[in-house]
Amino acid sequence: MYLKTILLLPAITFLISLLFYKTESVKKYLNLIVYGILFYYGIILYKQIGTNFGYNLNFSSLSVNFNVTYLGYFFTLMITGLTFLTVLFYLKFMKDENAPRDFYIWLAIKTFGMLGVVFASDLFTFFLMWEVMSWSTYFVMRKGENTQESSFKYLIYAVSSGMLLLVGLTITYNTFGTFDFAQIHNALSGASVSLLFLLAVIFIGSFAIESAVFPLHSWLPDSYSNTFSPITSYLTGISTRIGVFAIIIFLFNIIGMENINKLVIFKGISLMYILGLISAITIIIPTFTALEQYDAKKLVTWHGIGQGGYMILGLASGTALGIAGGIFHIVNHLTYVSLILFSVAAVEYRTGTTNLNKLGGLIKKMPIEFLGLLIGIIALAGIPPMNGFVSKWMIYKTLILTGHPILAIAAVIGTLGTILSVYKLIHNIFLGQLPPEYNNIKEAPFILQIPIIVLMIVVYVLGVYPGIALSLIAKIQSALNLPAVNYTLHGVSKEVGELNMNVINLVFLGGIIVAYLIYLLGNKRRHVSQYNNYAAGHFLTEKTKYNFNYKFYAALDHVISPWKKRIIERTEKAIISFTENFGEYFRRIYTGNLNTYTMYILTAFVISIIILKELL
Amino acid sequence: MSTILWIVFYPIIAFIIGLFMLGYARKFTARVQRRYGPPWHQLIFDIVKLMSKKTNISHGYMHDIAIMMLLGGTLLTLLFIPVPGFHYFAQYGDMLVIMYIILIPSLGMALGVGETANPNGSIGISRALMMLAGYDVAFALSFIGMAMLNHTTSMYQLMLIQQQHGISSWGIVVNPFLGIAALIALQGMMGEKPFEVFIAPHEIATGPMVEMGGKYLGIMMIQHCIGVFLEITIFINLFLGGAKNWIELIVKLFVVFTVLLSVNAVFGRFRTDDAVRFMWKIPVAFAIIGLLIVIL
Repeated sequence: MYLKTILLLPAITFLISLLFYKTESVKKYLNLIVYGILFYYGIILYKQIGTNFGYNLNFSSLSVNFNVTYLGYFFTLMITGLTFLTVLFYLKFMKDENAPRDFYIWLAIKTFGMLGVVFASDLFTFFLMWEVMSWSTYFVMRKGENTQESSFKYLIYAVSSGMLLLVGLTITYNTFGTFDFAQIHNALSGASVSLLFLLAVIFIGSFAIESAVFPLHSWLPDSYSNTFSPITSYLTGISTRIGVFAIIIFLFNIIGMENINKLVIFKGISLMYILGLISAITIIIPTFTALEQYDAKKLVTWHGIGQGGYMILGLASGTALGIAGGIFHIVNHLTYVSLILFSVAAVEYRTGTTNLNKLGGLIKKMPIEFLGLLIGIIALAGIPPMNGFVSKWMIYKTLILTGHPILAIAAVIGTLGTILSVYKLIHNIFLGQLPPEYNNIKEAPFILQIPIIVLMIVVYVLGVYPGIALSLIAKIQSALNLPAVNYTLHGVSKEVGELNMNVINLVFLGGIIVAYLIYLLGNKRRHVSQYNNYAAGHFLTEKTKYNFNYKFYAALDHVISPWKKRIIERTEKAIISFTENFGEYFRRIYTGNLNTYTMYILTAFVISIIILKELL
Repeated sequence: MSTILWIVFYPIIAFIIGLFMLGYARKFTARVQRRYGPPWHQLIFDIVKLMSKKTNISHGYMHDIAIMMLLGGTLLTLLFIPVPGFHYFAQYGDMLVIMYIILIPSLGMALGVGETANPNGSIGISRALMMLAGYDVAFALSFIGMAMLNHTTSMYQLMLIQQQHGISSWGIVVNPFLGIAALIALQGMMGEKPFEVFIAPHEIATGPMVEMGGKYLGIMMIQHCIGVFLEITIFINLFLGGAKNWIELIVKLFVVFTVLLSVNAVFGRFRTDDAVRFMWKIPVAFAIIGLLIVIL
């Protein structure tokens, strides 16, 4: 049974990493092989969708239950695929003497936790695996310099997310007496609206922390961008998206569409609309924050937050097209964001920096990485013919046609901000003047290029043949009792307003060919060096800095920064003073007197005994 | 068969009309400014001269590919815009597609200019992108308003709906606020004064074009002719009821272009931040009022 194998394989990598704890050179190849096998099993799991197995825990009446759903299969593909590529990239990226010894151990635990979450068929298993996943994430990201503080910030958020989940779990079990998703779903149809609201706020709040939805996002950029670059790619690509998976499961599997429609505060303002508004803010603010970053990794991780907003916006639209767009955007985001970050990491491997103000002109030295980053940013900005456009198109379209102008305009503004900042990203790394210190730089090693080339192909193929992914997504939607999207191999079918990416692609290629013929009409061109340049009569030499990359969008900053000062900084000040006062109140608890602490512990003990007695 | 003929001849027709429009533009601006101005066919001479230059300087492969992406992307956008007699591709992609494929030429150009390693070019691109962030908000808003009003995102459908009852069903008559917002945004999209910050010959040596010469500049001029045609046609299709035949289309093109040119002829250039600020205030305000009328 493949499911058991899949859950077992991370344990094998765990053992390998323990056995060869000190010999990095052996364990990295063994790990690569096992993750390759895991990816293979992840693919062929398709044959066994619908199987399940349970395991009774000896010490209590609880049991751990797993089953394979279409959604689970969809996420398994992404988890195993990206983990394999990351391990492949990490193999060459980290030099053996610098490599943290325990990385593979925590990666194995994290992979196990993520796979457990996507296969969980009851709330208890889900919670257990959720905790395994979020704790191991802390150790995975705590690699490299200056990561102690930022990853600790993540831990605080992750723990509060877990606590919220525990509260939700307790309430659910106390009310309905079951952990099983299907049984909770049946019981919920008779539940009161206020209980539904309570559960929705608790669960979505918990998952929103993990998927970095706007007010709860501040842990993400620092903790993700401080680690080693391949890990950044892995975390941005899949780790955060498990939060979105949990939101899908909770909204459509546990609550169910028929109950969601009951959740209306007053006329027209429903839970889904509020979720949509929050994700609209999640799109705009992080995207425009990304605009002013000057570290490549930080810029992309901020976009990771913003793109998460599109996914939830799609889900919140509640239509077949929108939900399909939201789910499709998860896999699109995974492919292009890891493509971008792998390219940036390959540049970092050669130059040793990701600072956008120090790089430039690398296009002639590293053309493969340039192409990778180019295809990645076209997809991220949502420009045809790459895959990011298709899912964003589905989301825009559904928002316009269902009459949500505010959400639609937020999505469009987010895309504008994205275009601006990704051009800055590619310009400052690959275009402009090449600094003399990078004159002798070579291409990155071939092993680092493999993930980049693979992902380039995936991004393009999913852009021209979105039907490959949409066929699976339509099955996911039917399995979740939602209306399924009408798709074709090249896009969306006529009933919802046709989109045919193949036609767009072919016409574009035809246009390029015509342009090439016109280009051939002229005389032969001659390539010249970057110092053979118009400089108003001056002669350029190696010593002349003739480049524009510092503060790339200064004028826009003049427009935006007063707004930011007015709104955001004042809000921040208010929050800070509130927290300080609040903290001052709590500080009184810590008297520094040992007797007081003993009393606290005793009180807590007594209270927990009383609560446990009530519960059991 | 007729579809293939259209695919071949539509870009050529668009190019010739664009050529006439740009020739007219130079003459018109000159006359407003009490100059004599170049003859209307000056642009043809320019293109022939540039395409037959002996030296063509390039800074690398991206620079070469950029110029093809520029023209190829423009042709792609053009074919998706319905005109009288030809709307074959309109069924495969709606206005949302057009809004994003219209960015492909600019993206290609931006990459090529980046590779030339000239700061004037980079500053030009940075300004052009900031302008994009300025005008596209108003343009997207007004398009969303039109789409919500008519319950379709297809440009061809929008055109047909507006042709039902003559002038009274035109978008700009039904909802003038959206139309005015889009018209101001169009001024920015075309890079006419006061929004020509990214060309700015006196400040940044024509910005993106600074390292372009010979056939590169020639292809850019060909693209500019088609670009003028397609940008104004988008506006006509969305707000002026499209056109039932080509004569109507040409008349409308020249009327709209004259409006844009008269503003262009008498204004100076805004600073970039002022231009963006203006775009985020006046046209967006118009568009929001229009949108509110649509919703309520």
